[in-house]
Amino acid sequence: MRTVVLTKGVPDFREGQVSFDEEGHLERGKTPTVMNPNDKHALRAAFQTKVRNGGQVSLMSMGPPGYEEVLQEGMRDVYADDLYLLSDREMGAADTWATAMTVASGIQKLDEEPDLVFAGFKTADGETGHTGPQTCWCLDWPIITHVLSLDIDEEERTVRAKRLVDGDISEIETVEAPMPCFIVADPEFEPTYRRASHRLKHKDLREETKERAEDYEDHLTVWDHTDLNLDPDYIGLDGSPTIVAGVDPIPKAPSEREATVIDAGADEGMEQVLDELTPYAAGD
Amino acid sequence: MVEIDPTEYEIAELGPKIKDIDDADELREMLDLEEGGEDRVPVKTLIEDRIEKVEDEGDGEVDPETVDLASLTVADVANMVRDIDDAEVLRDLLEREQDGEDRKTAKSQIESRIESVEGSDEEAGEVEYVPPEEKYPELDHPTNDKQWVEGTVGAEYRDMWVYCETQAGDLVDVSKEMLGKARDLMDTYNADYDEEERVVAVLIGDDASDHVDDVIAYGADLVIYHEDDRLERFRHQPYTEIFCDMARAGGDLAAEGREEVDWKDYHEPRYTVFPATNNGRDLSALVQGELDSGLASDCSGLYIENAMISNPAKVGTAGDKKEFERVLHMKRPDFSGFEYSTILCIDKPNRDFHPQGASVIPGSFEIPDPDFEREAEVVDYEMELDDDWFQVEVEEFDRLSGGVDLTGNDVVVAVGRGIGDDPTKGIELALDLVDAFDEADLGLSRGVITSSYSFDGHVEQYVTEERQIGESGQEVEPDVYIAAGISGAIQHKVGCDESDTIIAVNTDPDADIRDFSDYLIEGDLFEVLPRLTEAVEAGDLGAVMGEVSDD
Repeated sequence: MRTVVLTKGVPDFREGQVSFDEEGHLERGKTPTVMNPNDKHALRAAFQTKVRNGGQVSLMSMGPPGYEEVLQEGMRDVYADDLYLLSDREMGAADTWATAMTVASGIQKLDEEPDLVFAGFKTADGETGHTGPQTCWCLDWPIITHVLSLDIDEEERTVRAKRLVDGDISEIETVEAPMPCFIVADPEFEPTYRRASHRLKHKDLREETKERAEDYEDHLTVWDHTDLNLDPDYIGLDGSPTIVAGVDPIPKAPSEREATVIDAGADEGMEQVLDELTPYAAGD
Repeated sequence: MVEIDPTEYEIAELGPKIKDIDDADELREMLDLEEGGEDRVPVKTLIEDRIEKVEDEGDGEVDPETVDLASLTVADVANMVRDIDDAEVLRDLLEREQDGEDRKTAKSQIESRIESVEGSDEEAGEVEYVPPEEKYPELDHPTNDKQWVEGTVGAEYRDMWVYCETQAGDLVDVSKEMLGKARDLMDTYNADYDEEERVVAVLIGDDASDHVDDVIAYGADLVIYHEDDRLERFRHQPYTEIFCDMARAGGDLAAEGREEVDWKDYHEPRYTVFPATNNGRDLSALVQGELDSGLASDCSGLYIENAMISNPAKVGTAGDKKEFERVLHMKRPDFSGFEYSTILCIDKPNRDFHPQGASVIPGSFEIPDPDFEREAEVVDYEMELDDDWFQVEVEEFDRLSGGVDLTGNDVVVAVGRGIGDDPTKGIELALDLVDAFDEADLGLSRGVITSSYSFDGHVEQYVTEERQIGESGQEVEPDVYIAAGISGAIQHKVGCDESDTIIAVNTDPDADIRDFSDYLIEGDLFEVLPRLTEAVEAGDLGAVMGEVSDD
């Protein structure tokens, strides 16, 4: 089994980490980069595969050299064997389509064709959930998106998955596809480890990976556009169909109510609030 | 004489009435009446807001030849010059700005309009095409030979195509919302550009023909459908292949065997619109990829206008500007709800990026009133489906009962990024308070969903998108809404504004949420929530907190 997991670094949106300039625009340069939280679901899915089915797991990302640390973090999370960073000024400011072409070229350049590629759903920085499907379209593979759970049959070379369909109602589908296959994990993805041997293996892998992540540089391959044989006109900003024409801070909500400010320490005001709440208290 | 004497009305009644009054003088008289009578502050605010609004709207009618530029903001200047087509008038404005306030931003707005009106001289010229093998001799396989590059240049694009998703035999609501929006957009477009371009509804499925009458009633001029029993469930590849086959039928560049269609004579759609549902979003990405173009996902606003672009990737050379016509402006909440981005999908020299694609958040637009008298052309689109497209098989499917439905509760306790110091504890405390009520549930701000917090297993199950309150989540209207540690982005307001009473808990007494809550408890939610829980539980025992009102 050979699996590839795609990941991306994004600004850390936790309270206190986000920085804005005077006009209210987000200052990306001053906001620290962390792994896309939704990619953790892809990592969990890939990790389940590693524990249950073994094989080699590669983690791949496109981004500036600073993403190496995101890959190192990911290596620990997914017990990855090796890391690939597609990094080059020409790749900068790519939208999803230009990213998909670049990442697909990276996957095609691996020394063997993977059996599975995992991607997360959306990234927290405004990217869109398109990169996974579009990368898959470039590879011309079958795709299963919004995956909640996953079983792999290595002998039959098939993947069975449950996936979430939304709309006016929510549905769960069970689908089967041949490998190689592209998997986009849903944020609700749940790994399962039914056997004791899986849990033991889990522990062994963790120890082994801890060491590897210390010297992650030894397992890191960096490719630029000439390695991938990609014309700069087709990647990065130059190859992107879309541009961001403007960014507006989200306007303040127009004032319609005016809150009475209550000091949490003062009984008087708090009683007013309690009067609003007590009619709904649970009965015995 | 005023029609409405405000002193005779309750504020709740006045709100809707006042929206219909457009005369500032009449409003001022009403304000005088209120001041002379009941003199209620909220009523006065209501009238004053309306006066401001009415007068703002009047700004669109300023005469550019006489207007005092100093009285306009740069944004006003930008709006005003957009409607001026006479370069002389614009030059005069520019001079007056230079002599007056001399604001750089205002001048650049006027200058770029002058450029756009006068056109050709300063616009970017044709960009000379250099074959990639000459431009990049170090690369041995030019990327434009790859199967995923379509490589059309200067082809013809028309109409707005709407993918109408169906589910369990019904057209989903967002399909109707998109058709209504597309109808409005194309009616305006046709008037603005003197065209007769259509709203095209695309239906794919095993029951596609059942929905034809509906999509016409909701605004389609042309319906193209393909029906096949194998399409009972959405499947990525066949749905993409079918949509793209339809999009590429007819026109000068038609695929082989697809030349003879009488309902379409252009290369591909000008615009495509998809629902931002799980399947709709996937389809949008695949279709736009196959058509070698771009898209913006999860949009909540769409409009069409010309755009002046200086991005060298689009214009061809640095420093030039070029006006692109008929550009779909796609507005989407971005960066975890901090900002709106406006995305444009624009051709570049020697490579067309059409159709311009968007997916639309369900609920962003109104469902229009259906008109079953409308007439439209209907095409039963025939094509062979390749067995290879069905490699992913749907073996079974179940409808999920319920999911999380936050509507219908007496109380909703919502938490936001204020839980950041100890996210697991924050959720626990909110759940404790939820339990203290009879009919209550837990809601989350978008900030919590998109954060990279790690939660312990026992609360992690609660941190799901299904509990998100706001523009891209659920809209609730409980009797009491408690917003703890939520600063109050406008998208959050949309999700809770109809609640009877809103109680905020925030360490910052000036947090934006103050403007749309009734009480703001100034304090740390980690202290305030347990106090509330205790008090509500005690209040139920009827002893500790003393008297309880019974309203």
